[in-house]
Amino acid sequence: MISLPIVDAPDVAQTSRLWRSLPHLRQDSEFVESNQEEFLPGASNPISGSRRHFLQLLGASMALGGLAACRRPVEHVMPFADRPEELIPGIPLQYATAMPLRGIVKPLVVKSNDGRPTKIEGNAQHPGGHGSTGVFEQASLLNLYDPDRSQVLLRNGTETSWDDFLSLCQRLQLGSRRVAVMAASSSSPTIARLRAELEASFSMTTWLTYRAEGIDTEALGIELAFGSPYRPVYHFDQADVIVSLDADFLGPTAQNSGHNTRSFAASRRLHADQRTMSRLYVAESSYSSTGLMADHRRRMTSASVSQLAVELAVALGLREGDSPGEFAVHLAAELQAAQGQCIVLAGETQPAEVHALCAVINQSLGAIGQTLELLDTGLGEAARPDALASLVSDMRDGLVDVLIMLGVNPVYDAPPNLSFASALERVSDSIHVGLHVDETARLSTWHVPAAHYLETWGDGRTWNGTWTPIQPLIAPLYDDARSGSEILGAVASGSFVRGYEQVRTTWMPVLGNEDFESDWRRVLHDGFLAETGFDAVLPAAAEFNGVIPTSPGGLELVIRLDPTVLDGSFANNAWCQELPDPITKIVWDNVAIMSPATARELDVAATYKRGRYYSDIVTLSANGQSIELPVWVVPGHPDNSVTVNLGYGRNIETTRPERDTPFWDTDDSTDVYAHGTLATGIGANTFLLRDALARPIASGLQVTKTGRTYMVVTTQDHGVLDVAARPLIRSATLDEYLDNPAFALEHEAPTPGKDEKTRFEDYPTLWEDQHPTGTAAFRDSDYWQNQWGMVIDLNTCTGCNACVIACQAENNVQVVGKKEVGNGRELHWLRIDRYFLSDDGVEVSDDPKMVVQPMPCQHCENAPCESVCPVAATVHSPDGTNQMIYNRCIGTRYCANNCPYKVRRFNYYNWSKTIPSTVQMAQNPDVSIRFRGVMEKCSFCIQRIRSAQKNAGLEKRPLHRDEVVTACQQACSAEAITFGDLNDPGSQVSLARSDPRSYTMLAELNIRPRVSYLARVNNPSSNLIEST
Amino acid sequence: MATVTDKSVTLPVGDDPPLVTGNLGFHDITQLVSYHTEKRPPSTWYLAFAVSSTLLAVLLILIAYLFWNGIGVWGNNNPVGWGWPIVNFVFWVGIGHAGTLISAILFLFRQRWRTAINRSAEAMTLFAVICALLFPTIHVGRVWVIYWTLPIPNQMEMWPQFKSPLLWDVFAVSVYFTVSLIFWYVGLVPDVATLRDRARSIWRRRIMGFLSLGWTGANRHWRNYEKTYLLLAALATPLVLSVHSVVSFDFAVSIIPGWHTTIFPPYFVAGAIFSGFAMVMTLLIIARKVYSIKNIITMDHLEKMAIIILVTGTMVGFAYITEFFIAWYSQVEYEQYAFLNRATGPYAWAYWTMMSCNLLFPQFFWIKRLRRSIPFLFVTSIIVNIGMWFERFVITVISLHRDFLPSSWDYFNPTIVDILTLAGSFGLFLTLFLLFLRFLPMVAMAEVKVVLPESDPHFYDSHDDEEEA
Repeated sequence: MISLPIVDAPDVAQTSRLWRSLPHLRQDSEFVESNQEEFLPGASNPISGSRRHFLQLLGASMALGGLAACRRPVEHVMPFADRPEELIPGIPLQYATAMPLRGIVKPLVVKSNDGRPTKIEGNAQHPGGHGSTGVFEQASLLNLYDPDRSQVLLRNGTETSWDDFLSLCQRLQLGSRRVAVMAASSSSPTIARLRAELEASFSMTTWLTYRAEGIDTEALGIELAFGSPYRPVYHFDQADVIVSLDADFLGPTAQNSGHNTRSFAASRRLHADQRTMSRLYVAESSYSSTGLMADHRRRMTSASVSQLAVELAVALGLREGDSPGEFAVHLAAELQAAQGQCIVLAGETQPAEVHALCAVINQSLGAIGQTLELLDTGLGEAARPDALASLVSDMRDGLVDVLIMLGVNPVYDAPPNLSFASALERVSDSIHVGLHVDETARLSTWHVPAAHYLETWGDGRTWNGTWTPIQPLIAPLYDDARSGSEILGAVASGSFVRGYEQVRTTWMPVLGNEDFESDWRRVLHDGFLAETGFDAVLPAAAEFNGVIPTSPGGLELVIRLDPTVLDGSFANNAWCQELPDPITKIVWDNVAIMSPATARELDVAATYKRGRYYSDIVTLSANGQSIELPVWVVPGHPDNSVTVNLGYGRNIETTRPERDTPFWDTDDSTDVYAHGTLATGIGANTFLLRDALARPIASGLQVTKTGRTYMVVTTQDHGVLDVAARPLIRSATLDEYLDNPAFALEHEAPTPGKDEKTRFEDYPTLWEDQHPTGTAAFRDSDYWQNQWGMVIDLNTCTGCNACVIACQAENNVQVVGKKEVGNGRELHWLRIDRYFLSDDGVEVSDDPKMVVQPMPCQHCENAPCESVCPVAATVHSPDGTNQMIYNRCIGTRYCANNCPYKVRRFNYYNWSKTIPSTVQMAQNPDVSIRFRGVMEKCSFCIQRIRSAQKNAGLEKRPLHRDEVVTACQQACSAEAITFGDLNDPGSQVSLARSDPRSYTMLAELNIRPRVSYLARVNNPSSNLIEST
Repeated sequence: MATVTDKSVTLPVGDDPPLVTGNLGFHDITQLVSYHTEKRPPSTWYLAFAVSSTLLAVLLILIAYLFWNGIGVWGNNNPVGWGWPIVNFVFWVGIGHAGTLISAILFLFRQRWRTAINRSAEAMTLFAVICALLFPTIHVGRVWVIYWTLPIPNQMEMWPQFKSPLLWDVFAVSVYFTVSLIFWYVGLVPDVATLRDRARSIWRRRIMGFLSLGWTGANRHWRNYEKTYLLLAALATPLVLSVHSVVSFDFAVSIIPGWHTTIFPPYFVAGAIFSGFAMVMTLLIIARKVYSIKNIITMDHLEKMAIIILVTGTMVGFAYITEFFIAWYSQVEYEQYAFLNRATGPYAWAYWTMMSCNLLFPQFFWIKRLRRSIPFLFVTSIIVNIGMWFERFVITVISLHRDFLPSSWDYFNPTIVDILTLAGSFGLFLTLFLLFLRFLPMVAMAEVKVVLPESDPHFYDSHDDEEEA
């Protein structure tokens, strides 16, 4: 206790004129002492000490408390929004970042609600982006909140400390260790810098860029042709004729699908000023999103596609060979007529030689420089097909001491003939950095939980090479999570450097030292560094005379990336698992896809029984390996060929407890997260069927029927649509369109009330005075001044599913699991209807066309759902949207019955009750979470409309034209979805709705949908039609 | 009490056969009917009660299971938002038609043969309507706010949506239930007074005394009673037609092909009478045997009911065929497909079950011998109700499972909960009916006595009325 002298003690004896008692008068020592205190004894000492002592304690604890709170290092994260300084609770912020995907980064703007990233969108200002996103960018949000992510550092499967790991890194610095790195293909300059650092600190390093899906045959092929693996950028908007040789360049799995879709859509969009469109020829080995956009589609095995490439080269006079077939001759003529405004491109499943041939063809046609740009990436030569095999043999020979696996899972996806798992055992220190305790993690000495890209600093380059920073939106959810570059840095230097420092170090020389901080802030704000793209080159004449490999015959197996779970990296993502395959509409499974004829030949079938398919399980044997898969029959698939998708048959471990509820509670069967990880136990691992070079095509496939069947769940039935009778999807050829642009309306059934003489509007109504539009409630709100509508262009929509996931992320749409999808209870607010279309007069065809049609709520003006609800839970807003009032809904489901489009979704169980706590963080706080027993449906993203109106109100201005963008529209790379105010005659949506191709679905019901469709126009070649 | 017990007198008979056979007197009727509520119930009653109350327990357990977990325990899905619960609702409402029809419409039309069966038919109506009310109540997603369908004043000034046929249903069925209950109870008053007068125990006397509302059999009581009964009959008559018409609006007002049909109101009413009479027949064939009241509920009664079943069954069948004709005549693709799909689609078995049960089987009633064959009547009455259940299934499920956009087509599979809930509703129905048989006179004694020859001093002199007229 510190005692200090009392300041200003009163001189009682001198000042006192009045006295109260004798002790007072006498100034007894006891009295004097007690009288010095203002209050009664002890009352002024709240703690056992003096006031000063109290203040001292207070100050010390403040200092200590403040220190303890200084956990976060000061890292400047610049929000994209206009108020960087402050975060206003409840007001979301947007940050520019990027997602590494398949070797490049996708520029993004991510919305953060109070520190939680909740929605991913494209960065429209980025020179390598276009504002839209694909399925995987959208779905990657849920990967962040995956409840099964690995959370702790593991050494031989048991939790360990970072000191332990750092001592390993320091130990590695001593002595000459042979280090090998298997890294997922990456465009990160920081990783490249660390690679150089690593190579400097170790005497022998091997760096393998590992692509689970196999070798980049496109790069290899271009290297074969030009001597360097230039990166092609296709400008489909410049092309008149496009020939795709098994290239699914529009599909969600294509590396540059966003750009491809956007520029392809530009070449297909028809309006008053653009009356021409490109012509797309597709020859493909399995039905794809590209195939359904084709004007002429030929189904053929992958080997036949290669032969077609040769024939095409012959027909163009570029090679010697047998006289080409009719189709190749026709293609050659078309291509030559296009005078360079053409593109020939080959797919990932085609061998490098075909890609080389395409490069030669493109160059000879003069496409390079016109429709096709070649970028010099300066990244050295393309990866060799046998690089993995030689690394594995090094490992087996004990030539690798340390193996670092960054974001790869080779135990699962390396070719089985290499026996990667057994080779891994020979490596004394294997370090696996991954999001899950997966197949590889369990066999590695060390497992480091990887940080998600939304949690880490990083960088990368887009397809066109633009330098793009990756900035985190949230601190890692798990303390042990580290990024790949941090681990790489730790191994290279023996000490731990934070990702933030690593990235800044990389960018320092690029941005220059003088004004680094402000430049860095600008880069983070913008999400890119301008003018850092790769340079386009015009290479010298391509040379390729190599032999195109031919197939030894037999049944062909095509192994391709899955359009919903990619290579398995999205297999534990509930959104992706429940996303219907764009072609088969299958959820939660992979299957062996074949044509009806092949299925008949093999005597297998997928039998439809009571709403579900029971598929024969077959054993597929190729390259000495066998797996079992259920069959699936897709009309339009080439005969003599089987297609399987990668990414299933995963085995991920989790520490999450199983949900076990009593028998009277169904939570354990309705919760998709109830029993272990999502990915485990779904489908079979098709990586096993690949040869040692990981080629996507296997010949001589053996298919044997096991005699067992398996239930496959789809969201849509098979069926051939008689288009004449049900004019749901309307199409015409370009000639027909030019002849009669309003051809779509000719399909319209005679509609009462639409006839000039008997218009419903002209009838007097009984309730004229009480019409809702006349009420004060309507007129007093400003909402009615906007009348929202949507137009979907069927000519550009590829059915890629990006809008479906974007809607799911934006609107908190829950996942119901395979069983409940089988029961018909999926909740997707936006579904993509897919129909097969056979030619006139053909009942059932083995080679039908395919058409897709996104189907959100149509927001009918005379909504049939509204009039039947007994409690007025679904009503019309003054701004013309059909609204669902969740807390008024009692769940009679009458509205869903009466909806002719069947777009209403009912919560049959309490899906939101069982969401894991991490997934709860992914929910959008601006959209209600729906309880069991209520109806839900597309709301036209009403929260976005209101938020835009609120902002306009705060800024005291009217809404800008086309200011409101719905989630589906935002995601669409094809810009097929237009949304806006129909009251504004100049808005995009008003213009699109008045397009002659515009029609509404089921107009004859007089329900007047607010969503209209622009009819599809095909551009078939008249020559080819005549010749076939 | 005035009784005529001289059975040796053979009463002269007019053109019509006697409505009560066996030369029963007033007291015989009283004795025959009241006795069953006073004696110890037979062991068959206990057996039947055990079975039906077990089914009732199953129903209650399943409702608890449903409320705990949600509508997902049933087979309903996205195109088929209404499954078995609504099928069962319409089925039970239909059954609930016969009672009031017999008591009210036949009363107004002076069909005196109705007196033998009206009491039990009315009781059956009430219990069927209770079952019917159960289903729409439990089928909503959030049952705890079901009272929002009622126009209860509230601070939000939030009213139900009067345009919705479901709301009309709420009013129609609840009004029908209320009026049927009052009608049934008013008819019971003289009979309950009889039971009171016969009661041996004080508690029985007090309870029956309370329920008989101080009935003394005074002339004034009879006068008021007859007037009330007539007025209630007049009030109930339009309800017989309205309630099932309103139920049919649930479908007819919608825009779904197969539902959107103007023929529905008469077609549903005919179907309801059809199924209601079949159910009355099923129950009475058993009751008249078990309780030995064959003389009161005679073969003639059964035959009359068989004729009604034949007529209404043919009307329903005509409606089925008309729907097909109109679908073809409309030239609307969706309508045509909806009906083609009924007859040839994945649920064709249900459609043809309905057609054969409802249209084909009743046609055997053209043959008088079969109309008077107890086993045949019994089997047919059950077949008719199976057929009528399938009719509602065909309308509800088959129309919904494939409508406009083929992409959303799906199939409906009932779950075990669906099946047991339907069985449980029979448990509820039978439990209530067995309790009725045990505690209340199953035949309207007072009314039957009116049709006895003794109550007509002119001994069926059929021309006396005409002379006055």
